[in-house]
Amino acid sequence: MRWLPDRYGGLRRLVRGGHVEREVDEEFAFHLDSVVAELTARGARPEAARAEALRRFGRVDTLREETVVVDREIEREAGRAEFLYALGRELRLAFRSLRRSPGFTLAALLTLGLGIGATTAIYTLLDAVVLRPLAYAESDRLVQIGSEVPGMGVGSRWGLSVAGYFHFQEHGRTLESLAYAAAGETTLTGGFAAERVNSASVSAGIFDVLRVAPAQGRAFRVEEERPGSERVAILGWDFWQQRYGGADVLGRTITLAGLDREIVGIMPRDVHLPQARVDVWLPVAFLDPTAPPVNSHWVSAIGRLQSGVAPDEAQRELAALTAQFPELFPGAYPQSFMERYGFDTYVSALQEEIVGTMARTLWVLLLAVAIVFLVAAANVANLFLVRIESRRRELAVRRALGAGRRALATHFLGESALIGGGSVVLAVFFAWLGTRLLVSIAPPHFPRLDEVGLTPGAVLAAILVGLLTMVVFGLVPLLQSTETALLREGRSTTAARRRRGIRSTLVVSQTALALVLLAAAGLALESFRQLTRVDIGIRPENALTFQVALPAMSYQGFQPVLEFYRSLTQRIEELNGVAAVGVTNMLPPVAGTGCSVVFIEDRPLQPGEEPRCVPTVTGSPGVYEALGVRVDGEVPSWAAMEHRAAGVVVTRAFAERFWPGEDPIGKGVRGNGAVPPYYRVVAVTGDIRAHGVDQPPAEAVFFPLQAIDGAPLWSPMYTGNVVVRTAAVPPLALIPQLRAVLAELNPEVPLVNPRTLHHVVENSPSMARASFTLTLLLIAGLMGLLLSAVGVFGVISYTVAQRTGEIGIRLALGARIETVKALVLRQSLTTVLIGVALGLVASVAGLRIMQSLLYEVSPTDPRVLFGVVAVLLAVAVLASYLPARRAAKVDPASVLRAE
Amino acid sequence: MPVDLLQGKLDMLILKALTWGPMHGYAVTRWLQETTDDELLVEEGSLYPALHRMAKRKWVKAEWGISENNRRAKYYALTAAGRAQLQAQAGAWERLATIVTKVLTAQPAEVTA
Repeated sequence: MRWLPDRYGGLRRLVRGGHVEREVDEEFAFHLDSVVAELTARGARPEAARAEALRRFGRVDTLREETVVVDREIEREAGRAEFLYALGRELRLAFRSLRRSPGFTLAALLTLGLGIGATTAIYTLLDAVVLRPLAYAESDRLVQIGSEVPGMGVGSRWGLSVAGYFHFQEHGRTLESLAYAAAGETTLTGGFAAERVNSASVSAGIFDVLRVAPAQGRAFRVEEERPGSERVAILGWDFWQQRYGGADVLGRTITLAGLDREIVGIMPRDVHLPQARVDVWLPVAFLDPTAPPVNSHWVSAIGRLQSGVAPDEAQRELAALTAQFPELFPGAYPQSFMERYGFDTYVSALQEEIVGTMARTLWVLLLAVAIVFLVAAANVANLFLVRIESRRRELAVRRALGAGRRALATHFLGESALIGGGSVVLAVFFAWLGTRLLVSIAPPHFPRLDEVGLTPGAVLAAILVGLLTMVVFGLVPLLQSTETALLREGRSTTAARRRRGIRSTLVVSQTALALVLLAAAGLALESFRQLTRVDIGIRPENALTFQVALPAMSYQGFQPVLEFYRSLTQRIEELNGVAAVGVTNMLPPVAGTGCSVVFIEDRPLQPGEEPRCVPTVTGSPGVYEALGVRVDGEVPSWAAMEHRAAGVVVTRAFAERFWPGEDPIGKGVRGNGAVPPYYRVVAVTGDIRAHGVDQPPAEAVFFPLQAIDGAPLWSPMYTGNVVVRTAAVPPLALIPQLRAVLAELNPEVPLVNPRTLHHVVENSPSMARASFTLTLLLIAGLMGLLLSAVGVFGVISYTVAQRTGEIGIRLALGARIETVKALVLRQSLTTVLIGVALGLVASVAGLRIMQSLLYEVSPTDPRVLFGVVAVLLAVAVLASYLPARRAAKVDPASVLRAE
Repeated sequence: MPVDLLQGKLDMLILKALTWGPMHGYAVTRWLQETTDDELLVEEGSLYPALHRMAKRKWVKAEWGISENNRRAKYYALTAAGRAQLQAQAGAWERLATIVTKVLTAQPAEVTA
């Protein structure tokens, strides 16, 4: 019996002594013999006749060779045709047989399709965001360079100082180039409705570092980095297309933040900064190599390493250069500062910096969906087993009629090929859908999302997984089917026991995997719960916020800025339904972590001690009430600010750091020098988690909009967050009126990014990441739970069906119904408990990889583990109770009759 | 004097032979000899590569059978494709023969002064 088309027939025949040759020889021999016979019949002697026959025939050897070659070709072609024919026949047969059991087919297709599709979708995301190099030439040589200041807190990082930047640019031999690049926003006016656009502030060298060049016009020149010569701009491709319709704009003027700039270039399509999309590229205009060195670290630098240099090597060189700072720049970098803060320079691969913590999240999610796929695959394997069981009679007949193992294998391979092929098609569809879904629910500021798309590589991976699954499922059932087929229908207990063994193994592994998934989901849930329970210090309900950015050109100095905000808040207060309004440049929980040095009146610096660096922010009188911040004391009034007599408001964390156990009201704080006068602390807020829900409370000072005499402030609040608290009005309904108020006050100031405070909190990085992770892990966990419940149900049902006879006899002999139920439940729970035990071990060992993704919950949190075990057991009991009840309903009479 | 067979014309003759019904290679040889009164010079053995090639092209179908003297022999039968091939080749050959004959039998043209 041939099982597969005989592709090796030629080879085999050759080994057996050349069947083609023998046939040709026989044919030639017949011819020669016939000629000889004819000649001898005419009276020739046999020897002469044979010689004559050979002469007439020609060169036997050459002709034989020629004929054999032709026959070999015939054989090969026939083999191929036979193979295709057999394949088509098997697939047709398989298709017909699957059509007869649509339930099985649909279940297997959907389960595998979803499993492979989900895995492919997460892999696509991981590939685009983490694995694929950044979209620049030789992007593995790109690094981020900045300052490390462990003395400010573990992992604290700053940018470079201007002095350090130029020093590295000149002396860093491991660096091919070094440039400044920062993403920001600016206001577009002049011919357009005032609007915020994404800007990049860059030094001229950025084009060399990233190896990009304008598609039209020119790049920036080095002199344009210098202060006072910044009146140029380069447009991003999309911005150019949208605003100017791709017209020739070189040399034309664009007004940004009140400043007229000449358009000198257009960037190519899809070229942006690594960290953000860019509408307009502007020269940095603050990089002055002749400026005296200052200990201020705002330079965000991107470098390109020399070819063949590793980041570590560059790190060592720059660290050595950094060690020279106290010598080179004694004023800005005293030795005491270097030691106290452990000041150093770091070099790290740009891609890692961009991708950040998302890499680990995505790996964990990929692992989770892969486990879901395994659980799903176990179910499908089970389905195949059940299907074979139900066809044992058919198989037995086929076997009896002479079908060998191989014939049966071909048949099952045909079926699994169809299932595998079908599920790959579904999987690619689900992957496409899933990728879009993932992109739409991804947290804001998720890196590189615009690069996400289904790649040929991912599709190929899906196909390979599908193929593998198909071969495994096609062949595994065979391990037992032939045994089964030989046995008489349903009587052999040993065979039944072995089948149960395979199925129990499936259930045990499913349960264990499902437990790991559930535990991961449970941890994510608990972590999220902890995050939502954090008191961030503001009340997000019934409040909205938007940004304003004042053009520094038209508001020079503190007084005009103060007046603008005062009239703005007054007009907003008059609107119907507004309860409170205020302005600040620190919006919890998404405030930046910048800091300025402050001095405390009654805490003079000890010799060698460095001054404290804390977030110094600006707050208008109404902002505390608008944010819903608890305040003890009297916050400064507009009048006090205007009269240059306002005090400061400090956060509780600030007060506790500098005046632990003391009343902070009346204490003195100031920046820019430790000489009187000091600002008086007039009020203390509650703890505010300004830098993120998962971060410690901010140690911040709210300074007034106008300085007191003799204690200058840093800079007017050109960019502010207006916060409006409403009463009895949905916050977002106010937007049109707010826009009108702003336009009336100054049409050049746009209303930017209006959203509810609630939205700000939900979408803050830590919350958004936690809820993204939670959503996906919950889906994975629930799928794992459901799939393994189906697995348990299937196996127990099957066992009950197998033991119908036994149960009937037990009942006939007087066993109680409860006893029968308990029998079934006990058996299923034993299996499940083994799975639970294995799953617990795996969870404790494996979930440590989630550590950095969790907030205030240990990866082996006993409550979480206990909870998920309870859930899993409850579901398992439910899944086995249904078949147990069926067992109890067995009618002893009919069973005995069947026996 | 026997005539050498033009290259490629052997196929046509074999196909023609097989229009009388399935026969083995030796029978084809005999038929050719009888039909041409031994005037055609053919290496008898060269029949076989030609037959097998035509089997590959599906012009003839090869099958083992039993000969008149009770031996196993390979029989070749004309297929529909073979018949069509024969017609095409014969048609082309006849036209060529006509043209060649016309040329060879042409009288020298009279030169007019």
